[in-house]
Amino acid sequence: MSEIALSVNNLVVEFPTDSGPLRAVDRVSFELERGTIMGLIGESGCGKSTVAFALLNSVPTPGQIVSGQVDYPGVGDLLKMSDEAQRLFRWQHVAVVFQASQNTLNPLRRIDEQIRELATAHRMRDPKALLERADSLCRRLRLDSRRVLHAYPHQLSGGMKQRVGIMLALLLQPDILVFDEPTTALDGLSQESVLQIIREIHDEEGLTGIFITHDLGIVSEVADTVAVMYAGRMVERASSHTIFSGPKHPYSQALMNALPRLSGDPHLARGLRGSPPKVIGDQFKCLFRDRCEYRMEVCDQSEPQLIQVAGEDAQVACFLHGKEVERVSV
Amino acid sequence: MNTLRRFGVALIMIWMVVTLTFFMIRLMPGNPIFDAYQTLLQQGVPSQQALVQIHILYDVYPNQSVVVQYLLYMWHLLHGNFGTSVVYTGRPVLPIILAAAPWTLLLVSIGLTISFFIGLLLGVLIALHRNTWFDNLMSQLASIFHGIPNYITGFVFLYFFTVILNWFPFGNIYNPAIHPGFSYGFVASVAYHSVLPIAAYVFGAFGTWTLSTKSAAMAVLGDDFTMADRIRGLTSEQQLEHLVHNSVLPLFTGFVLSLGIMFGGAVFIEETFSIPGLGYLVATSTAQRDYPVMQGVFLVLAGAVIVANFLADTLYSRIDPRIRV
Ligand SMILES: Nc1ncnc2c1ncn2[C@@H]1O[C@H](COP(=O)(O)OP(=O)(O)OP(=O)(O)O)[C@@H](O)[C@H]1O
Ligand SMILES: [Mg+2]
Repeated sequence: MSEIALSVNNLVVEFPTDSGPLRAVDRVSFELERGTIMGLIGESGCGKSTVAFALLNSVPTPGQIVSGQVDYPGVGDLLKMSDEAQRLFRWQHVAVVFQASQNTLNPLRRIDEQIRELATAHRMRDPKALLERADSLCRRLRLDSRRVLHAYPHQLSGGMKQRVGIMLALLLQPDILVFDEPTTALDGLSQESVLQIIREIHDEEGLTGIFITHDLGIVSEVADTVAVMYAGRMVERASSHTIFSGPKHPYSQALMNALPRLSGDPHLARGLRGSPPKVIGDQFKCLFRDRCEYRMEVCDQSEPQLIQVAGEDAQVACFLHGKEVERVSV
Repeated sequence: MNTLRRFGVALIMIWMVVTLTFFMIRLMPGNPIFDAYQTLLQQGVPSQQALVQIHILYDVYPNQSVVVQYLLYMWHLLHGNFGTSVVYTGRPVLPIILAAAPWTLLLVSIGLTISFFIGLLLGVLIALHRNTWFDNLMSQLASIFHGIPNYITGFVFLYFFTVILNWFPFGNIYNPAIHPGFSYGFVASVAYHSVLPIAAYVFGAFGTWTLSTKSAAMAVLGDDFTMADRIRGLTSEQQLEHLVHNSVLPLFTGFVLSLGIMFGGAVFIEETFSIPGLGYLVATSTAQRDYPVMQGVFLVLAGAVIVANFLADTLYSRIDPRIRV
């Protein structure tokens, strides 16, 4: 039996703007099984990082979680916990390897001081034990721990800082790890070595987590399931195997086709034109319809919901699939 | 090595200031020595004897070329001799300056420190409460006080608290009836007399510090590590500490420079409150064309700015690990 580590229900996150509240995340639901990694993909600005921040109730101001539950079985709904309980929950249960990891360290503190601060913040009696753990993690991440732990952030290269970011994320042995594009800010060589490290740790420990990326190659390699986001909505969710062998949503298809392909039908290898809309207020149409080559009448009349595809471990929000397809085609 | 170079630059700058003031002062209209010489001649004193008298009085010959005077002045200066006042005949300049400096130092350092910490507190609070009534009110107040020159604040304070309310004494920095010294009465008297001028300075300066702190703190709040600190579960105190530490750094240089600049910037406040500090000395010696005193005070004021500059550069590299000297 699989055990659920996280279940997100109808999550809505909004950013106030001059023209009204921008819905960066709209009614997103998903579950994460222990020991699995969910790949989260989608174009820039479609709400991936916002989902990640919402998992820790730390959406950057002025953003706000408007509704929904972020339930950690055994702990409860994070959004209903006291501030202090939430604070202690962060990093002990869920840690993040940040997208902008280059600047996520306080420039005025040495790395070991920042580790001591973590120990104090999380009420550990013995900061030395944490420093020793940091030391062994460093060695595992192929960092010169003596040098790195005594260094200020500016004395480290980009790739080293990202590995320090991974070290800090693993430090308190969290149940769930969120990787938010852990390699985008790095050069090719550092990217490969950081990925190699993540692969190793996953193989050895069986991480539970969410892996946000634009790189579908990595997703196919590390993710057990894949979720596709578009304009704040989750438009497809399936096992990695299913989605890579046949994406259902036209957007997922376009994403995968946008990848350079060595072989296959040149007709399929086309890029995606335009960009996702910014959504303000309720929508009564499919948000992808303007870019979709399968656009139908119904796409202008109501918004497709995420539904189970019969006979497959996949969910998709598109009128081409599921019951709606039949209804429309009548 | 770098420090040594900066030190050399500072010395050259001081020499340039000395030279410039020497010649600038002599370009100003009105020359008391020449006036005195003329007066002696009119009284029928033979010119040779008049020259000797002037020399005894002022230690200069009125008909000496400016270049020779300059070289003599520099020679004396290198030996720590600032010359003698021409108005208070025979009194050496250095003790006059040393008697005035402590009052300025007292007002400036206390006023600056208080206004800096008020500004730091308000600026951080405003940044933490963006777009609330507190932000709107305090940012407005800070901008208004930022725009009011401190002598106007000083004048209003003086009028209100001494003339109308009669709460504070007017003029001077201590009660002349009390003998100066480290007695309780004297210190209390100085404190009592300092309240208004310091308050005037604080009100004139805290707005500027508030606005600078606010923008520095807002930049730090937008930094990725602030977001990461929160997600790492650091306590509010730890987060605040990071915020303040990172916001103070960009203000530090300004703070040390202000210390130097304010030696002369307190001129108006010292004049308003008749405090016998350096600013007051600048005003009186300039009015009387007391060259040696003017020369000496300007040297001290410019020196303070240059030294502050040197200190700011040198100290900054010690408090910010990102700067390596
Ligand atoms: N601080 C903010 N203020 C206003 N709007 C924001 C803010 N942060 C994010 N948004 C909006 O929320 C939406 C989702 O942003 P998010 O950062 O989650 O996207 P993303 O999928 O992570 O993109 P990327 O791949 O570029 O990291 C965007 O449309 C963005 O405009
Ligand atoms: Mg992102």
